[in-house]
Order: sequence, then structure tokens, then C-alpha cells
Amino acid sequence: MVQTGGSATLPPPAIEVHGLTKQFRRAGQDPLRAVDGLDLTVPAGQIMAFLGPNGAGKTTTLDMVLGLTTPDAGTIRVAGMAPRAAVRAGKVSAVLQSGGLLADLTVVETVRLIASTFDNPRPVGEVVERAGLAELANRRVSKCSGGEQQRLRFALALLPDPEVLILDEPTAGMDVTARHEFWATMRADAAAGRTVLFATHYLEEADAFAERIVMVSAGRVVADGTTSEIRARGAGRTISVDAPEFDRDSWIGRTRSLRGVTRVDVRGRRVYIAASDTDSVALALLRDLGARNLEIAAPTLDSAFVALTGEHADAAETNGETDYTAGDMAEVPA
Amino acid sequence: MNPTYFALELKRFFRDYTGVFFIAVLPCFFYVVFGAAQSWSDQSVGRGNVAMYVMISMAAYGAVTATVSIGGSAAMERMQGWGRQLGLTPMRDFTFVATKAAVGVTVALVPIGLIFVIAAFTGARGDLPSWIVGGLVILIGAAVFSVYGLIFGLLFRSESAIGAASGTLVVLAFLGNLFFPLSGALLTIAKFTPLYGYVSLARRTLTEGYILNGTQNGSVVFEPLWQPIVNLAVWTVIFCALALAAVRYGRRRQ
Repeated sequence: MVQTGGSATLPPPAIEVHGLTKQFRRAGQDPLRAVDGLDLTVPAGQIMAFLGPNGAGKTTTLDMVLGLTTPDAGTIRVAGMAPRAAVRAGKVSAVLQSGGLLADLTVVETVRLIASTFDNPRPVGEVVERAGLAELANRRVSKCSGGEQQRLRFALALLPDPEVLILDEPTAGMDVTARHEFWATMRADAAAGRTVLFATHYLEEADAFAERIVMVSAGRVVADGTTSEIRARGAGRTISVDAPEFDRDSWIGRTRSLRGVTRVDVRGRRVYIAASDTDSVALALLRDLGARNLEIAAPTLDSAFVALTGEHADAAETNGETDYTAGDMAEVPA
Repeated sequence: MNPTYFALELKRFFRDYTGVFFIAVLPCFFYVVFGAAQSWSDQSVGRGNVAMYVMISMAAYGAVTATVSIGGSAAMERMQGWGRQLGLTPMRDFTFVATKAAVGVTVALVPIGLIFVIAAFTGARGDLPSWIVGGLVILIGAAVFSVYGLIFGLLFRSESAIGAASGTLVVLAFLGNLFFPLSGALLTIAKFTPLYGYVSLARRTLTEGYILNGTQNGSVVFEPLWQPIVNLAVWTVIFCALALAAVRYGRRRQ
């Protein structure tokens, strides 16, 4: 690849984002700062997961990278070009979240329609085959399952044979089987050397598929590294116990004040305790506090997620609302 | 314009049997019932006869039903995420608008063509200018009403809203002196409703500006040309202003 006027002979990074900022006005409220000075560089050929709770700014960031939304501030280069120019040149394409297909067209008609907008698209038959849609080619989009529609969006994204492929929560709302099928299709395509950036809040997807994980919260990057690096940020092991039913509030207060406890999280009868020295905390819980059924869990991506974003990935799916009924979560200054 | 997109859009139209019924079949039926089948269909009106008058009215009704539906669905599709899908392609907004406009005109030609052909074989009489000007005004004026459909699609974003938009056309057609001749206070009110100027201009070459006055049998009154022109112009401005407001409102909701 030749760069005009540049001294570099390396291809430009697939995506280069600096100081990206986007605010949304809200009626009667302060503007929402969806993306807040985000920096990100994705080298060509990398498979990267963009992880974060709903409202973290993932979709807004991806929309700006794709030229669908204009940033308030900051710069974006995609394959060395401005976003809209990169889309026009077929350098970048995307599988967007649900919606956005015409229900009364068939699968193959949809592919033909989108293909007609490109100058040199891949053949319709080829992308239909690669997305695993050959048997569904003449089915109406309205009759396709969510997973099948998502594979259709994937077929559409393959049409320009993009260097960069962006997937915005591609498996949201799919059942387990559909999710596995979708990722199997993706894995088969990844060999092509494409840069893939996918947003998700399924930690296991990020774990299984990405070389690198970038975690965002409140519009900023809060962690960036390989899966194992991120997991190590999980700030240690977690203890879970059954608390005594009698006088729980004071019991929880005493647990919080134990040396090394960083976080106490109550879910029904079960109490989850994050601590730096789990052995001594476990001893105190069993010996002095009458805790029962104690378990100690190794750090997971989930615990890293909680430690870094202050939210549970599962809870985040219901728009930031906590998913346990009678409980509270308290952060204890370390 | 994108020919593949255009062809697939036409295919979508003919696949939607409900749409085809309301846009093409129903106006033809109306023409036959209110025009050709009536005993007075061959009575003279201006440069032709009553059948011709009813033909132009019903073709206008079919054409606006077509453009309201195409305009409404174009807006709805864009609001529902198809716009984002197209945003991932090199297609420019202008190409989208041009393609949808071509689809709207082509679909509007279906009821116009059908009714004109049926009418030609069932006794509609008029001189050549009445046929040509009538057809052209129907087609051009129908474009204005695609904006009316657009407003519904932008604001309500659902299939049923587009159906409702087409449904309101029935009421507007009655009020607009389109289905049967109004008189007295109703005729005065009619002159302020959206379809009045449009259909009045489409029939004007035929009627030479004389409109039927329903109460006094067979009597006609002359209407100055500025009345239907001002009606259509004012409603065009109102529709465009509302559509712009709806676009801004929609952008804020995104």
C-alpha cells in the first residue's frame, strides 16, 4: 500500500481515534456526555472487543467511526481516511444492532439491493454462501429468525470486502445456539486477515474471540489489554457466604470493616465479598462472624469488569438497573 | 437513481396486495360505480362529459393514495434503521430520494393509467387537452402529497401510521369536493381543505373553471383560477414546513 506524501511504508492503523467527544441534549436535563475524550488505536489485522455496560458509549463511538454520527470534538481515521470516505471506498463495513432490514424483501434480494450501491462488490452468491444463508436465499426477511437476520447483516457487511469490520453487539437477543452459530461463521471469516472490532457485553464472547479487550465506562477507556491482562485487573478473589439471618445489618457492617475487604455485595441471603487477602477474611468470617457455606472464587473477567466499571455486566443489560431484588451494593474505601 | 433499487421497490409494491387494492383496484371500482355506471355519465361537462369528470377525480384519488403510501414508507424505513444500513453504503441521500421519487411517480401512474384506459372504453369523452393536462396535473400534484405521507412516517414510524395516512385521504377527498359535488357551506369549507385545489386544477381544463353546484340541478358556478392555485400552494408550504419540523423532531429523538 502506498501512502501519498507520507514517509511511512506501513499501512495506517485500521482505526485511529483521538479525543473523541459526543454529547446528547436531553429535555429538561443536563446534556448526556455519551463519549468523553476517548482515544483508541486499532492496528490492522487485530480482533478487538469493545466491552462495557449499556450507556457506556460503545454504540455512539462505533456510529462515529462509521460516519453515521458526527462527533462534537476529536479526530477519527479509518484505514487512513475520514469515516464517510472510508465507507464510500468500501474500506469499512459493519453489522449493526437489530432493526434496519426491509421485512418484505427476501434474503437474496436484500443482498442484491445493497450490492447495487457499491462499485465493485463481491458476488452476491459468494457472500450469501459465506454467511451461511444459501438455504435461506429466497426466504422473506420477516420469516427469518433474529440469528438469521444477523447473518444477513453480516452478508451485507461482506459485500465491499472491507479491511475493517465492525460488529455492534452482533449476538444481542440471540439464544445460545444462534450465538454459537454466529461466532462460528465469524471465526471462519477471521482467517481473511480482516481487522474486526466488536462491541459486546457478553464477557465470554470477548474472552473467546478477541485478542484484545478495551473496556469503556461513561464514555472513556478504563482498561485496555489482552484477556489475561484484564482478568488480572480483577483485584483478587471473591468470597461468597451465607450470612446469618439474625441482625444482618450489623453483620454486614462488621464484615465491611474487616481488614482487606474492598467491596460487599448482598444478593438475597448470599453475600459476595471482594478482598485483597481472602485467606484472612475467610478465616474471620468463619471463626468470628458465623458465616456458612463459604466459597472462594478466582478472579474472572466479570470481577475485572465490576472492579473497572463499577457495574455488573449482567445488570448492565437491563439498562443499569440492578438485577437482584433485596440487596444493596456498597463500595468501601480501601 | 439506482435501477436495481428501483426495480426491487416496484416488486415490493406489487407484493403488497393490500396496497395494490387501495391504490389501484379501489379507485377503478369507484370510477365504475360513480362514473361509468351512472345514468348521467354522458351528460355534458365543459369540454367532455360526467364520466370524464369522475375519471379525473378518481385517478387523482388513486395517485395521492400511492404517493402518500410511498412517501410515508420511505420516511418510516429511514427512521426504523434502514437509513443506518444505507449509511454503510456509498449511496448518497440524493440517490435515495431520486430513486424513491421515481418509484412514487411510477406507482402513481398505475391507478392513473388503469382508470384512464377503463374510462376510455366506458364512455368518458373529452378533448385531447383535457386528457393530457388532467393526467399531468394529477401526477405532479400527487408529488405534493408524498410530503403528507412523509410527515406521518417521520412522526409515527409504524406501518399502521402509513395506513392511517391513506385513510385520512378518504375524509380529505370527501371534504375536497373529490368524490361528489358539494354545495353551499360545505363547498365553502371544501375550498380550504388540502385535496380541493389539487383535484380542481386537474379537472379545470375539462370544466373550463365551472364547478357543479350540487343543490340546484345541473347549474354551474364559475370559480376564479386563483382559488385552487392558492389552495394547492398554501397546502404545499404547510406540508413542507411540517415535514421539516418532523425531521428536526425525529433527529432529536435519535
